[in-house]
Amino acid sequence: MTKKYAVCLTALFCAFTGGVFLLSLLLPKQEFSQLENRYLEKAPALSLEALKDGEFMEDAEAYVSDHIVGRDFWVAAKAWCERLSGKKENNGVYFAKDDTLINRVEEPDPDLLAQDMDYVDALVGNVPVPVYFGLIPTAAATWADKLPAGAPTADELSIIDRLYFSTGAETIDMAGALAAHKGEAIYYRTDHHWTSLGAFYGANALLEAMGLEPLDLNNYHKTTVSQDFNGTIFSSSGVRWVRPDQIDTYVSGEGVKVTSYFDGTPTEGSLYVDSYLEKKDKYSYFLGGNQPLCVIETEHTGAPKVLLVRDSYSDSLAPFLTECFSQIHLFDLRYNLTSIKSYVEEHDIDAVVVLYSFSNFAGDKNLFLLGR
Amino acid sequence: MVFSTPIFLFYFLVLTLLAYYVVPRRFRNLVLLCASLLFYYWGEQTYVVIMFLSTAIDFTHGLLVERCKSRGNDRGARMAVASSILFNLALLFFFKYWDFIASSLQAAGLTFMPVLNIHLPIGISFYTFQTMSYTIDVYRGDARAQRSILNFGTFVTLFPQLIAGPIIKYKDLGDQIDSRDTSVEKFASGVQIFMVGMAKKVLIANNVGMLWDICKAMAPAELTVAGAWLGALAFSLQIYFDFSGYSDMATGLGRMLGFEFLPNFDHPYVSRSATEFWRRWHISLGTWFREYLYIPLGGSRVRPARRYLNLLIVWAATGIWHGASWNYLIWGLYFGLILVLEKKFVLRLLDGLPRWAGHLYTLFLVLVSWPIFAIEDFGHLTAYLKTMFGLGGAALADGSLVYYLTSYLPILAVAVLASTPLGVRLYHKLPQWTAQIAGAVLVLAGLTLCTAYLVDGTYNPFLYFRF
Repeated sequence: MTKKYAVCLTALFCAFTGGVFLLSLLLPKQEFSQLENRYLEKAPALSLEALKDGEFMEDAEAYVSDHIVGRDFWVAAKAWCERLSGKKENNGVYFAKDDTLINRVEEPDPDLLAQDMDYVDALVGNVPVPVYFGLIPTAAATWADKLPAGAPTADELSIIDRLYFSTGAETIDMAGALAAHKGEAIYYRTDHHWTSLGAFYGANALLEAMGLEPLDLNNYHKTTVSQDFNGTIFSSSGVRWVRPDQIDTYVSGEGVKVTSYFDGTPTEGSLYVDSYLEKKDKYSYFLGGNQPLCVIETEHTGAPKVLLVRDSYSDSLAPFLTECFSQIHLFDLRYNLTSIKSYVEEHDIDAVVVLYSFSNFAGDKNLFLLGR
Repeated sequence: MVFSTPIFLFYFLVLTLLAYYVVPRRFRNLVLLCASLLFYYWGEQTYVVIMFLSTAIDFTHGLLVERCKSRGNDRGARMAVASSILFNLALLFFFKYWDFIASSLQAAGLTFMPVLNIHLPIGISFYTFQTMSYTIDVYRGDARAQRSILNFGTFVTLFPQLIAGPIIKYKDLGDQIDSRDTSVEKFASGVQIFMVGMAKKVLIANNVGMLWDICKAMAPAELTVAGAWLGALAFSLQIYFDFSGYSDMATGLGRMLGFEFLPNFDHPYVSRSATEFWRRWHISLGTWFREYLYIPLGGSRVRPARRYLNLLIVWAATGIWHGASWNYLIWGLYFGLILVLEKKFVLRLLDGLPRWAGHLYTLFLVLVSWPIFAIEDFGHLTAYLKTMFGLGGAALADGSLVYYLTSYLPILAVAVLASTPLGVRLYHKLPQWTAQIAGAVLVLAGLTLCTAYLVDGTYNPFLYFRF
C-alpha cells in the first residue's frame, strides 16, 4: 500500500462518514416525507428515565435513520439494487408486469376471519333491514397474472368463497365483477385502491346483489383530473422507476349534498376535494379522505337509503351510488363507535352494506362494533 | 449498539475516532474506555455494571496471581486463578444457563431452581472468555499483570470486539493495550477490512438471511425437499457472512485504532474435512478451547480412549457456548463425534480420495449441521431434517420455490463465490496501482450501498444474542 493511497482512502472514508454526520446534523429536518407518505420520527426526548430504560436509544436510532441526509436517495437506491440483483420485490411490494406495483397479501389468521364473520352475522341478526356483505379482492388476486411467476400471496379468492359460503348476509360478487374486466385499468398501478373504473364495476356488482338496475358506462363521460398520482405502494416500495398513475372521474357530482363529519361535527363536504390533487395523498380527492361518518343526499328522493360500513375503497365508489339512492351513509368503524342498530333505526335506513377490501377486512380490529 | 446501524457508522464511530485522534496520546485509552462503556450502555443499560465488576475483579486477581508467583507461592497463585475462573464462570452460568437448567429441571419435575427470566447480557460469552484468559495467561507467565486499571478496563470493554468477538486472549493484546502505533497506512487498511466486513453483513448476510427466515417460517406441510436444502444453504451463507463480517468489522475498527487482531475466519467452506473446517471457522473460539480446556484436560498426550473423551467434552462445551438450549449441545456433539471419527479413520480415507470428494463430504456435513444450530424447537428441527432427507412425505418442489430460487439465485451465486478465496487471490494478482484504484472504488461503492441498505433496512438481525 502506498502512502498516497492510504491518505486517499482515509480521506474518502472520513469525508463520507463525517460528511453524512455533519450534513444530517446541520441541515433542517423534515417533519413529513412526501415520497414515503409518512411522518418521520420526532427528535428523541432526553430524560433520565428514557436513558435508563433504553427508550431514548431506540428513538434516537429511528430518528437518525429517518433524518439521514439524502434519505429519499438511499431508499430509492436500495430498491434499484434489489431490482438489479434479480429480486422481484422490495419491502413486500412485487415488481409486477405493465409498470405495476402490487402489495403482497399475507395469509390471514383463519381464527380472526371466523370471528369477524361472526360479527357480520351478528349484524344480520341485529338490524331489521337486509345486510349485504362484500369483500373486494386486492390487485394481487385479480391481477395475479401480472405478478412474478410463483410469487407467494394469500389465496384471496378461495378465502372469500369460503367466507361467503357460511355467512347469513347477502353476498356481493366483487371478485367476479372485477375478474370480468381484469384487462382494464381497474386498480391503480402505484396505489392499493381500485380506480374509479374498478369502483364502477364494483357498484354494479352491489346493485346486482340488491336487485337494482345496473349502471351503463356509456352514459358517463370520463374526466381525467390528475396524471401525476404516486400512491401508497409507490411510497412504501421505494420504487421510483414506474410512471405515475392517472385519476379519472365519471360522475359529475352536481346536485348532491355531502355532509362530512371529520371531527364529529357536520361540515359541508364534496364528492371531490380538488385541493388534494395538489398534495401527495391524491386518493383523498374522493370525499376528502378518512372520516368517521359521511352522509350524501341526492336528488333521487324516492330511492332507498343505504348505509355502508366501509373502508377507503368506498370513497371512489360513492359517486356511482349517488345515481341509485336517496341517501348514502358512509360509516367508518375505525373512527366511529356509534351503534349501527340504533343508527339504522334513527335514520330509517333501508339496507346495510358491509364492504371491505380483503386486506383491510383481514386486518381490521374494530369489526366487533358491527354487532353492537 | 451494533456496527451495522446508521447511528454507529455516522455518529458513534465518527465522534469516537475524532476524540481518539484529537486528544493527546496518553488519553487515548481513556477515550476508548469511555466510548466502549457508552457503546455497551447504549444497548444494555444497567448491565454495564458487569463491565465495572469484571474489570475490578479480574484486575485484582491478576495482581494477586503475580504477587503470589513472585513470592514462590504457587498454591496461592493457583487459588487466585481458580477464584477468577469461578467468578467468570459464575457470571456466565447465572446470566446464560440458569434459566435453561431451571426449566429443564422443571420439565423433569424438579422445582428447586426457579425460572428467573433473565435477560442475557449481550456479548457475555465473548467477554467472560476474554477476561478468563487474563489471569490464566498471567499465571502461566504468558503475560505480565496489568498495572493500570484504566488500561485493563480498556481491554475488557474494547468496543470493536466486545459483543461478537473475536475472542482475544490477553497475551495477544496486552502489549498493544499499553502502547500501540497508529499510522495512516494502518488506518487505511482498517477501512478496507471494515468495509469488507460491513458489505458481508449488510449486503450478503442480511439478504440471504431473509431467504432462510422464509424457509424456517414455513409450516412443515408447506416446506418442500428442495426448499429445505435451499434454506440450509441460505443459513450456511448467512451465518458465515454475518459472523465473519462482524469479525472483519472488528479487525478493521481495531486497525483504525492501532490494534492488530488475529484472524478469526479463513474461508471455512473450502475445507476438505470437518477437522479442517474447524481450523478455519471461528478460529479464536477454537484456539481458546484448545489452550484453556483441551490441553489442561491432557490434550492428545493421553490414552486414545481418554483423548476421545476429552474431545467430546470440548465439543459439548463448544456447542453449549453458542446458546443455552439443547440444540446447541447436539450441534456441538455432532461435530465432536465427526471429529473423533475423522481422527480415527476418516481423514486417512479422505486422503486416498480425489479432492472434490473431501469438499463434497465436508459441505454435506456442514449443511446438515446448520439447521440443528438454527432451529431451537425440537419438533420443528426433526420435521425440518426429515424434509431435507425426503422422509416427511413433502413434495420435491413447488411454485413458490421457483420464485425464491430465481429471486435469490444471483445473490446466492455471489455469496458462494465470495466464500472462496478466489476474490482475494484475484485482487492480489492485480498490479499495485490497479489494485489501489479498485480498492478505493470498492470502498466508495461499499459505503454507498451499505448506507442505502442500512437506511431502508427492514431486515437487519443480530444473530449472537444467544451467545
